[in-house]
Amino acid sequence: MTPVFAQELVVDPHAVIEPGKFDAGELIIGHVSNTSLQDPIIHLPRVFGIDLSVTKHVLMLWIVAAFLFVTVTWIVRRFSRQEKPIPGRAMSALEYAVEFIRDSVVAPNLGKKHATAWTPLLLTLFVFILFANAIGLIPLFDLLGLADHWVLHTGDHSIVKRMIHGGPTATGNFNVTAALAVITFGAIIVAGTRVHGFVQHWKNLVPRGLPAPLYILLVPMEIIGMLVRPFALTMRLAANMTGGHIAILAILSFVFVFARMLGTALAGVGVGIVFSVPLAAAMSGLEIIIVLVQAYVFTLLSAVFIGMAIHAHH
Amino acid sequence: MEGFALAYAGAGIGLGLVVIGAGVGIGRLAAGVAEGVARQPSAASQISGATNLPLFLLEGVAVLGEVFCLLIVLLK
Repeated sequence: MTPVFAQELVVDPHAVIEPGKFDAGELIIGHVSNTSLQDPIIHLPRVFGIDLSVTKHVLMLWIVAAFLFVTVTWIVRRFSRQEKPIPGRAMSALEYAVEFIRDSVVAPNLGKKHATAWTPLLLTLFVFILFANAIGLIPLFDLLGLADHWVLHTGDHSIVKRMIHGGPTATGNFNVTAALAVITFGAIIVAGTRVHGFVQHWKNLVPRGLPAPLYILLVPMEIIGMLVRPFALTMRLAANMTGGHIAILAILSFVFVFARMLGTALAGVGVGIVFSVPLAAAMSGLEIIIVLVQAYVFTLLSAVFIGMAIHAHH
Repeated sequence: MEGFALAYAGAGIGLGLVVIGAGVGIGRLAAGVAEGVARQPSAASQISGATNLPLFLLEGVAVLGEVFCLLIVLLK
């Protein structure tokens, strides 16, 4: 939930808004998209023709990964060093998450036998996606923008100015979710290969014992179906994360749209108090649920697809 | 200019159709769950567990449609 930029939040109630200053579409896109490669946060050289410069979403991925690694390791190590094995509050929460994924997501879909082998992967996916989603709800960079506007006064091309551009939700980027879906795609093949053998896994994709002409129709369909699953995972997660943010920003943009339309900032403040802020707050509450549900859905569907590869009864 | 206007109209109408379809689908699913739980309250957790997967698959299709509508507008 990225509130509008610090610069736009400074509203003088008696100021007359000049037309053409505020473009809602551009503001919204600027707040959900990645920073451009022309102006990244950290410049890195090109390797094999790929620009490795660190943009906003890459930075957020690193922050989430580092945060999770440090926190989870710290909680578990502290627990294992204790004299008596009584879990504290953090350890209890962690155990609950692990048991939830293992017992109600992985085990029913993959079976008890394979659950212990595949829980680590799916648990990692769940926790990583959950935190990458959730960090987008915290207006860290907007607070940084406010601090920059009022206190820091950094230059136009300082690292702070570069960091406040772009959206903080890495999972709202289709490239990020595509990479996550590719992990699931690989896991499906590995799971099928481990249980049935490499050739048998591919044979399992189509049902056995049908008349030969049917296979001309069936084989391409099954191949398309195999590729559509990770594609749907990609789109679902990224579109849900982007969509919620766009809706909230569009509602907040009404403040400025109305202020410009009626020519006075007072109208914008009125619309903000009566309509925009309460609705945006409610949408943010809904976003908290969506963040949880989407992380759960990605994990559940990954488990279902891996389970389908393991229990292929054709 | 008219082409742009038609593209916008198409995106808007398409989004509306997507929402109608998804709404009908989720509504039917919810109706089925409510009926099932009303008849068999003891199986409530099993019934709601079984509806999760089709619900998310349905939602995925709807989201795909919305993304393509958005792409029509953004890529015009």
